[in-house]
Amino acid sequence: MDSIIPQLLTGLAGASSLFLVASGLTIIFGVTRIVNFSHGSLMMLGAYIGWSILTRLPRDPEWFVLGIIATVLATALIGVLLEMVVLRRVYRAPELFQLLATFGVVLILQDVTLWIWGPVELPLPRSRWLRGFVEIAGNRFPFYDLILIFVGPVVLGLLWLVMNRTRWGTLVRAATLDREMVAALGVDQRLLFTSVFALGAGLAGLGGVLSLPNSSANLHIDLSVITDAFVVVVVGGLGSLPGAFVASLLIGILQAFGIVLVPKITLVLVFLVMAVVLVFRPNGLMGRPQAEAREATVAAPVVRAAPRELRILGGIALLLAVAAPFFVGDYYLTVLTDACVAIVFAASLHFMMGPGGMASFGHAAWFGIGAYGAGLLAQWLGAPMPIGLLAAPISAGIVAALFGWFVVRLSGVYLSMLTLAFAQIVWAISFQWVEVTGGDNGLLGLWPPEWARDPSVYYWMALILSVAVALLLRRALYAPYGYALRAARDSVTRAQSIGLDVARLRMVALIIAGAACGLSGALFAYAKGGVFPTYISIPHSVEALLMVLLGGLQTMTGPIIGALVYTGLADILMRSTDLWRLVLGTVIVLLVVAFPEGIAGAARRLWLRGREA
Amino acid sequence: MLSVEGLNTHYGRAHILQGMQLRIGAGEVMVLLGRNGAGKSTTMKSIIGLVRPTSGRIFFDGQDIAGEEPHRIARRGLGYVPEDRRVFADLTVMENLEVGKQPAREGMRPWTPERLFELFPNLGRMRDRPGGRMSGGEQQMLTIARTLMGNPRLVLLDEPSEGLAPVIVEQMANAILALKDEGLTILLAEQNLHFAGGVADSATVVEKGRVVWSGSMAVLRADEAARTQYLAV
Amino acid sequence: MSVLVVQGLSKSFGGVQAVGDVSFAVAPGEMLALIGPNGAGKTTCFNMVGGQLRPDAGSVMLDGKPITGLGPRAIARHGVGRTFQITATFGSMTVRENVQMALLSHRQQIWQFWRPVAGRYVDEADALLARVGLEAQANRATGVLAYGDLKRLELAIALGNEPRLLLMDEPTAGMAPAERVGLMKLTRRLATERGVAVLFTEHDMDVVFDVSDRILVLNRGVLIAEGNGAAIRANPAVREIYLGTGATSGGH
Repeated sequence: MDSIIPQLLTGLAGASSLFLVASGLTIIFGVTRIVNFSHGSLMMLGAYIGWSILTRLPRDPEWFVLGIIATVLATALIGVLLEMVVLRRVYRAPELFQLLATFGVVLILQDVTLWIWGPVELPLPRSRWLRGFVEIAGNRFPFYDLILIFVGPVVLGLLWLVMNRTRWGTLVRAATLDREMVAALGVDQRLLFTSVFALGAGLAGLGGVLSLPNSSANLHIDLSVITDAFVVVVVGGLGSLPGAFVASLLIGILQAFGIVLVPKITLVLVFLVMAVVLVFRPNGLMGRPQAEAREATVAAPVVRAAPRELRILGGIALLLAVAAPFFVGDYYLTVLTDACVAIVFAASLHFMMGPGGMASFGHAAWFGIGAYGAGLLAQWLGAPMPIGLLAAPISAGIVAALFGWFVVRLSGVYLSMLTLAFAQIVWAISFQWVEVTGGDNGLLGLWPPEWARDPSVYYWMALILSVAVALLLRRALYAPYGYALRAARDSVTRAQSIGLDVARLRMVALIIAGAACGLSGALFAYAKGGVFPTYISIPHSVEALLMVLLGGLQTMTGPIIGALVYTGLADILMRSTDLWRLVLGTVIVLLVVAFPEGIAGAARRLWLRGREA
Repeated sequence: MLSVEGLNTHYGRAHILQGMQLRIGAGEVMVLLGRNGAGKSTTMKSIIGLVRPTSGRIFFDGQDIAGEEPHRIARRGLGYVPEDRRVFADLTVMENLEVGKQPAREGMRPWTPERLFELFPNLGRMRDRPGGRMSGGEQQMLTIARTLMGNPRLVLLDEPSEGLAPVIVEQMANAILALKDEGLTILLAEQNLHFAGGVADSATVVEKGRVVWSGSMAVLRADEAARTQYLAV
Repeated sequence: MSVLVVQGLSKSFGGVQAVGDVSFAVAPGEMLALIGPNGAGKTTCFNMVGGQLRPDAGSVMLDGKPITGLGPRAIARHGVGRTFQITATFGSMTVRENVQMALLSHRQQIWQFWRPVAGRYVDEADALLARVGLEAQANRATGVLAYGDLKRLELAIALGNEPRLLLMDEPTAGMAPAERVGLMKLTRRLATERGVAVLFTEHDMDVVFDVSDRILVLNRGVLIAEGNGAAIRANPAVREIYLGTGATSGGH
C-alpha cells in the first residue's frame, strides 16, 4: 500500500500533460470544427524545439522558465503558419477531408522533424534542481512532478478566465456555436480562427516541452499523444474544457495505476473506462449533443446506378485485370494483388462510411483482426488457407458486433474517435501479448498451400474474391437494406418516423464492413507470408480513409478507383524516395485543396455538368 | 442608400437569384415579398456577404460591396437578422449583445444594452439567461437587439414574424416602427402581408429570383390584380 | 371512438414544469389544432405523443392501446405518421424512392440484401405522389424540390405508413400564404377520405380558423381553452395571451 500515494501523484502529473494537449485540441475543434490530427505533431515539435532551446541555455530555473516561454511562442507561431497555409484553405471542405489534410500535415512534420533532428531520441540533461525530491507522507516524491501537477489546474483557471471574462473569449464561445453568424455581426473570422489555433498550438507546445525532463523528444510522440488526447476529449465531452480536465485526471490516474497493477492491458483498461462512460453518457462526461456546424446547405447528390459508359469501362478494366498475369512480371503481380486487397479494404470502409454515415479512423482494426484470426488458426491449429480465409471475416464480424453494441448510438465525431482508440487497443494487444501474437516479430510462415503458391494463381484468387465482395456490397446497397441504411444517414428523425430501427441498421453495417475488411486482412497476410502489428497501425487506417475519400463518398465506384490510385501512387513513391512521408503528405494536402469531393466525385460532376442531378 | 443591380447567385448548380435588383432610400422600410424559395433569404445573404454572388453589383453608400467578406460589410453599417433567430444558445443575453458590439458611428446615437432594454423590456428582465432558454419571441427580440449593437444604418430583417404568436408579432411590428422613427433604413423579408402592410413604405415582389413587381405599399394595397397574381391573396 | 386519447400528460425539465396535466382526444377524420404562445409547451406535448420524449405522468392511447413512453419507431409502427417543422426527407434519394422507403418499411421488407429497390411498389408510390400532386416530380432529386413540394412529399411519406394519426408540427411554417391553405385543405381531404385523425400546431391564424374542427389553447403548459373557431376567437383570455388585437394576423 506504500505505493498508492506516489502512484497517485505520478498519475496527477501525467494528467496535467494530458490536459495541456487535450485542451488545445478541444478549443480548436470547438471553433473550427476541425479534428486536428496534427495536434500531436505540434506537441512533438514543442518537445524538439524545447530541447534545442533548453540545451543551449544555462540550467538555472529562471532560464528553464524562459526557455519554456520561448518554446510555447515558437509552437504557437508554427500553429499560425499551419493555419494560414493549410487549414484556411480547407474550412469549406467536408469534415473528413479536413481531417485528412491534418493527417497530411502529420506525415509532413514527421519527415521534417526527422530531417532536422535525426532519428535518435533526445533526452534533456537534467540539472540538479530538476532531479530534486520532496518528502510527502514519508515518500520521496520528484519535485518536478509536483510542478507538473500544479500546471494543469493553473492552465485550466487561466483558460476559464480568458473564455468567460474577455471579449475575445466571448467571441470564441459564440463562434463555437455559430461562426457564420459571428461573421455577419462584424467579427473577423480569420483573425479569430488564427488566434484560436495559435492558443491551441501553444498549449500543445507547452505540453511537449514540459514532458522533456521526464522523457525525451522522440518521433513517436505525435501518434501516441494524439490517441491519448482523443480519448481524453471523448471521455470529457468535445468542446468542454472542464470535461477535458476531469477526463485527464481520470485517464492519467488510471494509466499510473494500470502500469503497476496490470502492465500488459493498461490500454485495454483505458478503453473499457471510455466505453463505460460513453454507454452512460454518449456525449462524454461534460459534453452536450453536437449541433451541426451551420453552413450553407447544398443538396446531397442523389445516388443513381452507374451510367452505361462506366459499366463498359469497368468491364474492360476487369478483362485487363484477368489477363494481367500473361503480360506483367512477378513484381507487378504482387502490386496488383495488393490492389485487390486494397479494393476490399476501401470498399468495406466505404460501406459503413458513405451509405452508413459512420466514419472510421481505425478501419485497420478489422483488417488486423482478420489477419490475426487466420494467422493464429494456422499457427496453433494448423488450419489450412481456405479455413483461414473463412475464419477471418467471421472473427472480424464477431468483434465488430461486440464493438458495435455500444458505439452505434454515438454520433459523428465521437464514433470516429472511438474507432481510432479501439484500433490502438487492438494494435497494443498485438504488440504486447508476445506469447500469443509474437509481438513485434509477428506471426510468420503463413503461406498459401501448394496449389495457390504461384503468384498468378494467388492473384486470380484475390481478384475473384475482391470483385465478388465488391459486387456483393454493391448489391446490398441497392437492396432495401442499403436504402434503409442511407435513409438513416440522411435523416434519423424521418427514418424513425417511418419505423426504421436506426441503431440496428448501423450495427449490421458495421458487422458487414468489419467482416469484409477482415477478409482483406487475411488475403494480405497470405500474400505476404505473415501477420504484423503494423497492419493495425494508425497510418494504415488512414490509408483506408485516404482511398475512400480520394475516390469520393457519394459514388459506389469511388472506393475502387481510390484504392487503385492510392496503391499505384504509394508504389511509385516508396520506390523513388526516402522522403515518402513528406511527398505523400504534401500530395494529400494538395488533393484535399484541389478536389474536396474526391476524384470520382469530381469526375461525376464533370460528367453531369448541364444535367439535373 | 442601398442598390442591388443584376445580382446572380448560385447554390451548387441551382441558379437562385437571376438578375435581382432593388433600391432603398435612406430611412425607408421596404418589404421583400414572395413565396419560400423565391430568393428573399438569398438576396439578404448575398447582400451581407454570407453567400458570394456569381455576378452583379451591390452598392452601399455608393461603394460596390459585392463579394466582400461578411465582417467587412457588417462594419460598413449593414446589420443582418437571420430568419431562424440563431441566438448563441450558451451565451447569456448580455454576452449575446457583447458579440454584436461594434464602435459607435458618427452622427448616430450609439446603441447600448440599456437603450435596447427600453425597446425590448422583456430582455432587460433576463440579462443573465442563456439564449437557449428563452422562448421563440424573446429569441427573436434578442437577435434584433444583438444586430443593433453593431450600430447599423441599414438592417436586413429576414422573416421576423415567422413562427411567432400573433400577440408577439404585434410587439415586433411596434419595435420596427420605433426603429424607423430612429431613422434606420430597413429591408424586411416577409410572407405575412398583414404584418408587412403595417410597417413597410414600399414593397418588392420576388419570384424565381427576380423582381416581378415593385412600388409603394399604398399602390400594392390598391392593386388587387397584382396581389392576386403574385401573392395569391 | 377516438383515435388518440391523451390523459393527464405532464413533463418537467429541471424542475420547471413544461406541460402539466393535459388531456384531450382526437376522433377519426378530425383536425385538431394546438395553439399557444411560443414556449407554451406545444412541442413538448407533441414530442410526448410522438415518442421523442417520455412523459413524467399521464397516458397516451392510440386506438385503445397504450403507447405511453414508447420510442418514436415503435409509435410509428403503431400507426402514427409525422411531418416536421423543419422538413425531414431522405436527401440522397429521388422523390419516388422516399415514398418507396415508407412502403417497404411498412411492409417489413427492410432486411433484404439482394433484390433491388428499383421497381418495388412503384405503382403504389406513384399513386400516393399523385394524391399530393407530385406525380410529375417522381424522378427528381429530393434536394431540388421547392419548399412547398417538400412539405407535400412529407405528407406522402407519412401516408405510406397507413397511419391512424397524423402529427404535424407547424406544417405550414415558411410557406407562402396561398400555399399554406392549399396544403392544409389537401390534408383535410386526405384525413376525411382515410379517416385519419390529425393533430397539428400552427401560428397562422388564417390556417387555424380555416381548416381545424376544434382548437386547443395551451399557455404555460396548461390547457386554458378548447372549442371551435368562433368560441376561441371570442375568448378574452386567448386574445390577451395569444391572439392580440388581430392587426397583424388578418383581423382574427
